Amino acid sequence: MTALAQWKCARCDVPLELKKTEFEYMERSFSHAVPTCPKCGDVFIPPELAEGKMAEVEEQLEDK
Amino acid sequence: MTIISNTRSVCPKCLTQIDAQLVREGDDVYLRKSCPSHGDFSTIVWRGMSDEFDNWWKYKAPSGDAPNCPNDCGLCAKHLQKTCCALVEVTSRCNLRCPVCFADAGSGTSEPTVAELYETFKRLCRNGNTFVQLSGGEPTMRDNLPEIVSAARRAGCETVQLNSNGIRLGREPEFVRALADAGLSFVFMQFDGTCDEVHKTLRGQPLLSDKLAAIEVCSKLRLGVTLVPTLVPGVNMDDVGGILRFAVEHAPAVRGVHFQPISYFGRFPHPPRDEDRVTLPEVLRAIETQTDGKFKIANFVPSSCDHPRCGFHGDFVILPKGLLMKLTPKYNPDACCAADSHLKNRKFVARRWTRPKSNGQKEATDYHNMDNFLARVKSHGFTVSAMAFQDAYTLEIDRLRRCSLHVIDGEKTVPFCARYITQI
Repeated sequence: MTALAQWKCARCDVPLELKKTEFEYMERSFSHAVPTCPKCGDVFIPPELAEGKMAEVEEQLEDK
Repeated sequence: MTIISNTRSVCPKCLTQIDAQLVREGDDVYLRKSCPSHGDFSTIVWRGMSDEFDNWWKYKAPSGDAPNCPNDCGLCAKHLQKTCCALVEVTSRCNLRCPVCFADAGSGTSEPTVAELYETFKRLCRNGNTFVQLSGGEPTMRDNLPEIVSAARRAGCETVQLNSNGIRLGREPEFVRALADAGLSFVFMQFDGTCDEVHKTLRGQPLLSDKLAAIEVCSKLRLGVTLVPTLVPGVNMDDVGGILRFAVEHAPAVRGVHFQPISYFGRFPHPPRDEDRVTLPEVLRAIETQTDGKFKIANFVPSSCDHPRCGFHGDFVILPKGLLMKLTPKYNPDACCAADSHLKNRKFVARRWTRPKSNGQKEATDYHNMDNFLARVKSHGFTVSAMAFQDAYTLEIDRLRRCSLHVIDGEKTVPFCARYITQI
């Protein structure tokens, strides 16, 4: 797992916090806790999420 | 009357390849052709043009011709699509004698042995064709069908589909258990309507209770069942919505519905007239109007694996209380020519028609949560699709060249519509 403590926001230089975030993916909206900058709100999608669940969603929604 | 495009077809009487034209008359499209020896022919191929169907006509036919198609068929360099599903006939026997049958089943007794079939499956897998449909005739006429399924698995087939009328499946649960144990993936079950009148008209027998029994047996073994209605004007076109409601009510055991407008090959009572035909836009309109818009035309896209006018599909998830979540992405007209479209389709079909094993966990219903969403898509995915097979009247060489459903005919591999094409 990507350790949350190791990430800082490049712009604001503050540690990221885990926050439930709404996002749109493959024309659907999902809610998932992702590392977020408490100052500017930018989010970081960890590789585990991108290559894990998000890839699985993509596979399920992939068209023929 | 306006000419949409020039194309190539065959004479329905001698099957010689001839020039043809797609002609628009009002809101309808006809395939018109003339054989020097047998005269003029005109057949309806598309009833009701509308903006909603623009995507179906965006396809640009490839350049070049295939002058020997389909008479010298066996896939050749002129064919434009690889094999998605390989259909293997395991018997010509059948326990029904339907007035209309593409395979003209019921005659002949010679059958390939399990050892011969194993060699066929091995050859298919060596060529990367790992999705087989066991067909016939009625495959369940063979007592050793579980051995055939097992042989396909041993040869390396990843997906083994059974095409069946379901009669034996409903009556002999132990036979179905043996098929499941041997590695059967799912069942493609003939299902023409929700009342016995339809079955009596099309199959000569009241079969509804047999179909229900087959679904129940398969459900207990978690074998997915996809319902396959043959749509015939004046028989079951008004039952399209009823069939969909029935399928939704029997989900997740039922994984979807695959509509097949009637085509005239093999055995049929008389040469078809235009009023004997159902075209794809009519099926889509029936789906929307007969379900009060629960399924919408806009939820469906043309086939990307075959020619876009050969079929359509829509992907859904059934939510609690029978609500539907639409999954179908936007149609990409360029996808139909992608080199890997046959592989994508193979994966898609296997994923959607297979019923996954239960994980035993109680399901949560917040589908904004990715875990819950994924669990529901897998357990309650529901696919509505259609395929318009071509017969000697409706056949276009362009469409045939894009076919991905291939029949294994001895050493040859032949597109479905070319394999069963029947002259008058």
